[in-house]
Amino acid sequence: MDCGTCDSATPLEVHRPDEVNVELTLTEKATTMLEDAFGDDRSHALLVGVLSGGCSGYMYDLQIVESTETPCQELNINGFRVLVPSASSHLLNGIEIDYVDRLMGGGFKINNPNASTACGCGESFS
Amino acid sequence: MGLVRHAASILLLQGQGLLPFLDGLSTNHVAGPCTTVFTNRAAKIIDVCEVIPVGEHVAVVGHEANKEALKAHLSQRILGQPITITDISDLNDVFIDTGDSQIPPDATVHVSFFGRVFVVPVKHNWQPTWTIDQWNEHRIAKLIPYHGYEITGVHHPLACGLGELVHPQKGCYIGQEVLARMRSRGKQGHRLVVGPNPVEKPTTPGKEHSLSIVRVQ
Repeated sequence: MDCGTCDSATPLEVHRPDEVNVELTLTEKATTMLEDAFGDDRSHALLVGVLSGGCSGYMYDLQIVESTETPCQELNINGFRVLVPSASSHLLNGIEIDYVDRLMGGGFKINNPNASTACGCGESFS
Repeated sequence: MGLVRHAASILLLQGQGLLPFLDGLSTNHVAGPCTTVFTNRAAKIIDVCEVIPVGEHVAVVGHEANKEALKAHLSQRILGQPITITDISDLNDVFIDTGDSQIPPDATVHVSFFGRVFVVPVKHNWQPTWTIDQWNEHRIAKLIPYHGYEITGVHHPLACGLGELVHPQKGCYIGQEVLARMRSRGKQGHRLVVGPNPVEKPTTPGKEHSLSIVRVQ
């Protein structure tokens, strides 16, 4: 196979949507749960990202991190550092992070006005 | 047995996490060389592709007619991942071998659902030994679906005979809920069959037998 890596073949221009300034909200319940998770240590941040995959093409990715090499927008929401990857900003602007307290299917939930569809488990959207 | 030209597109993916990226978007378990299907939310086929690791890169060999749709499908899901896509279709010819054809020089050989796939640099000007009609007769005899005949955007993989490319235990990917529901309920709507002529609405008409996709209960 001629893979073209040593001559003229140039990578396709991947469509990268414009970065938008993200605004997001945390519900009271989500804030309480984050206070439990973070304690008094606010040196860490909540990383709210998007991965490819899942039933609907994109999956939410929530992590507590100290830092990340991924280019991010850093927000301060209810006293928490929140990091949003710049590449996913167009998918996450306007989201509300909630916490659902129930035995099955509970946990952090994201209400996303940009999502036209979501799968049953709530982790995947498009 | 012979060698037929495959009207292929070849996208070379470079970067990190290539196989997991493809695995998360297609029906088969992609952990190495394999054939897999990219589907939309309704589980209709976007493309059926050979996944061929090439050193640190991965070549995705699909059908020429589906190239733009596949490029769009993949590229809009790269997001911030360090992955680039290069179209190297014009640099190579792709053939499907149905038997024991001579392996062309500098060929990358891949065992596929369709047969052995040879990806050959165009500079060798390698030529097929079979016509499309001979390939179609072979497919009818072996019940092999093909691009543009059975494999189209109208059908889902189970309907056109690609069930073995739909991994039964795999987690979420686009279209998975639909395919899993069909399997669990035993209702896939349509299936690929071969029958003696005359066949109503054949997808691949043959001399004596033809392939068709028929409705099942």
